[in-house]
Amino acid sequence: MSDKVLVIGGGISGITAAIEAAEAGMESVIVERNPSLGGRVAQLYKYFPKLCPPYCGLEINFRRIRQNPAISYYTLSEIESVSGSEGNFTATVRINPRYVNEKCTNCGDCAAVCPAERSNDYNFGMNSTKAVYLPHDLAFPMRYVLDKSACNSVCQACADACQYGAIDLNMEEKTVDIAAGSIVIATGWDPYDAARIENLNFASIPNVITNVMMERLAAPNGPTSGKIKRPSDGKEVKNIAFAQCAGSRDENNLAYCSAICCMASLKQATYLRDADQESKAEIFYIDLRAPGKYEDFLRRLEEDDNVTLTKGKVAKIEEDNATGDPVVTVEDILGGGKIKKQFDMVVLAAGMEPAAKNGGIPLNIPFEDHGFVDGDKLGAGISVCGVARRPDDVTTSVQDATGAALRSVQVTARAVQTAGGN
Amino acid sequence: MADESVEKGEEAGAAGEPEAGEAAEGADSTAEPAAESAGGQDTAESEQAPEAAVQAEAIPARVIKPDVKFVRDVVGAGGSDLKKCYQCATCSVVCNITPDDTPFPRKEMQWAQWGLKEKLTGSPDIWLCHQCNDCTAQCPRDAKPGTVMQAIAKMTIANYSISPIAKAVGSAKTFVLMALLPVIVIMAAIGFQGHFSDVPRGDNGAIVYSKFMDIYRAIDPIFTIFFVIAAILLIMGGRRYWSDMVNNHVSDGGSPPEKGFFGNLWPTVTEFLAHKRFRKCDETRDRANSHLLVFYAFVGLFLTSAWAFVYIDIVHRESPFPLYDPIKILANVSAAAGIIGITMVLIYKFTHAGKISRGSYYDWWLIGTIYVLLLTGIGAELLREANSAVLAYPVYSLHLMTVLFLFIYTPFSKMAHMMYRMVALVFARATGRDLGVE
Repeated sequence: MSDKVLVIGGGISGITAAIEAAEAGMESVIVERNPSLGGRVAQLYKYFPKLCPPYCGLEINFRRIRQNPAISYYTLSEIESVSGSEGNFTATVRINPRYVNEKCTNCGDCAAVCPAERSNDYNFGMNSTKAVYLPHDLAFPMRYVLDKSACNSVCQACADACQYGAIDLNMEEKTVDIAAGSIVIATGWDPYDAARIENLNFASIPNVITNVMMERLAAPNGPTSGKIKRPSDGKEVKNIAFAQCAGSRDENNLAYCSAICCMASLKQATYLRDADQESKAEIFYIDLRAPGKYEDFLRRLEEDDNVTLTKGKVAKIEEDNATGDPVVTVEDILGGGKIKKQFDMVVLAAGMEPAAKNGGIPLNIPFEDHGFVDGDKLGAGISVCGVARRPDDVTTSVQDATGAALRSVQVTARAVQTAGGN
Repeated sequence: MADESVEKGEEAGAAGEPEAGEAAEGADSTAEPAAESAGGQDTAESEQAPEAAVQAEAIPARVIKPDVKFVRDVVGAGGSDLKKCYQCATCSVVCNITPDDTPFPRKEMQWAQWGLKEKLTGSPDIWLCHQCNDCTAQCPRDAKPGTVMQAIAKMTIANYSISPIAKAVGSAKTFVLMALLPVIVIMAAIGFQGHFSDVPRGDNGAIVYSKFMDIYRAIDPIFTIFFVIAAILLIMGGRRYWSDMVNNHVSDGGSPPEKGFFGNLWPTVTEFLAHKRFRKCDETRDRANSHLLVFYAFVGLFLTSAWAFVYIDIVHRESPFPLYDPIKILANVSAAAGIIGITMVLIYKFTHAGKISRGSYYDWWLIGTIYVLLLTGIGAELLREANSAVLAYPVYSLHLMTVLFLFIYTPFSKMAHMMYRMVALVFARATGRDLGVE
């Protein structure tokens, strides 16, 4: 019998579940596929409810992890197999080589000499990093990583440049077995591939971007250092459109409501408005969903004369060849006509797709119709939280993760009770 | 119980549409649940409408009279996915042939959900729609706006003809009953001439159809009578449709169309001859050619009939005419075009992948009738040339029955689209609701 909680996924939900369980007296271990923890939240510029930068919350959580010996984590790691049952799971975890060991001090000498580049997935490919790179400014663990697929393997420049002997080009993948009493699935989400929304021409018009890209454009540590500039020519964006339900609530794409896109677009409109008083934003929607206290936020934007809310879905986007401006076509339902409007940039409020849907977890996972994990049908000792379970915002996901931690605590409590009863 | 639910619907309507006209339309989404709740009850239009209107007089209001039966009929006529629509307006955006001002079919989806029958049947937009089905292909809810528009069009035909007959024509169950009339008429004509047993032949024993069905005693009276009846019904329907459109247009604040129907007819016809609107379809662009062929085939065959009337009844030439005669060339070319066109229709129906429906009985009725009409026509000609009496006379008889079948039921079937679409296109031009074909 193990009272360890195995948390699959190191985003805000997984971190929360691991910490809450550990602070309730359990041991927890996080297995994260990426080189750093923090997940999608770490890619945001600001987040609800207080519109603070996500590192407000993430820093606190990282400190709780650092200070608590009951929490351990593996990055660049994936679950290979799971056996056993509630109370006695054994997970085999493959740890992919980072090629950078714990001696790394983040001096950056390696990246300075590295001749190879890779597309920066942290910024959704809007810029690039060296093949040896720091995932981002506030990465946890704060350590460089080498992307061998982008690297010319005969080159030793980084290893030669490192004064601390932190780069080990011969590092090999390892596997470890983890004994755990319970498992929490917190695999989160991926942004929906906007290229699949055929009529919106995301793939062919450079100035049509997605909402997650907009977060990076607005973030000070993003590709444009926080200046909202459009991709085609770097022109500062003064007049922006948001296309709501881009791919969500759409039988041809994601049939469900992704829950967060309305508030995300309202929030992103303030990025532009706060940066420039002259700027204009127009949000094209079918219905605006601003639940609970978020309604106040919606009211605030409604009162802004430079923010227009137009009822009618953007169903066509073309490019003006002369300017590179995207031109949207909508039926302005309340205004009574079909209109074409030109903007500096269009943000597609694209939805969230559950990451677990496409496999990667060697468990017999029951999915509901849309690919989210059906928590009610999971086996004993396994629970799910956050967006792996259903599309939700950060606050709700964190609450959900706390619930998952409690379910893990209950597994141990049950085992103790059973042992006592015998 | 019924009264109560009607009142609920009325109130919601009055509250939900504070102003007349299109502008208030989106605001009244609150009225929908009430209209839906009325849908549970078996109610017809309310007699209490004036009272509700008086109550709401303080603010200028238009009372919505949900015709619940109409909603059910639209659903029954093929618009079964109507209620999936959540009014995003993707359909109006992707439609290449809608006017920009109050575009279709988004508003029609809402009107249909609410049972606003008069607005729908008296609107040109139902027939400005050419069934491209770009809307259906891109609808995020799979509500099939194209199919709903088609269902409403079908109901419009019923509305402006004689509804029970139109319903019977539109139902597979009554096909045999419907087919009986032309069969009996043609059989009776054969019987009265005594041609079941013995048919006179022409020179050298050649088959001469005018000796089988006498032009003056059988063909002319039968076909003239049914043609005239059909034409009168169609014209009456077209006139009622026109005046309903004028009334709706004027009550929405528009001015009556200048120059009227005939003043706008010619430019509409010339535009239609090129089928330019059809070519704006994305999903079903191919239909422009197939429809064009069938359309010209019908024009050609109509001209052939008129020409034949001149030859036989006025110039008194004897049929059959030789193959090199211009009338024969026109007839054969038209028939060939028709066969090619209708076969293309058939191929597209079966090869078109995706969500676009292969059509209902209503569509297949017309396709089938046209097929039988053309095949028996060509068959009769070939069998006559082959001098195969055993086959020629039955095939010719079937051909006559099919022509008569089409004549009789044109005002009640999809064939009537030629009248209503033409009237709608002319009206759209007359009121400036014409897209203008760039």
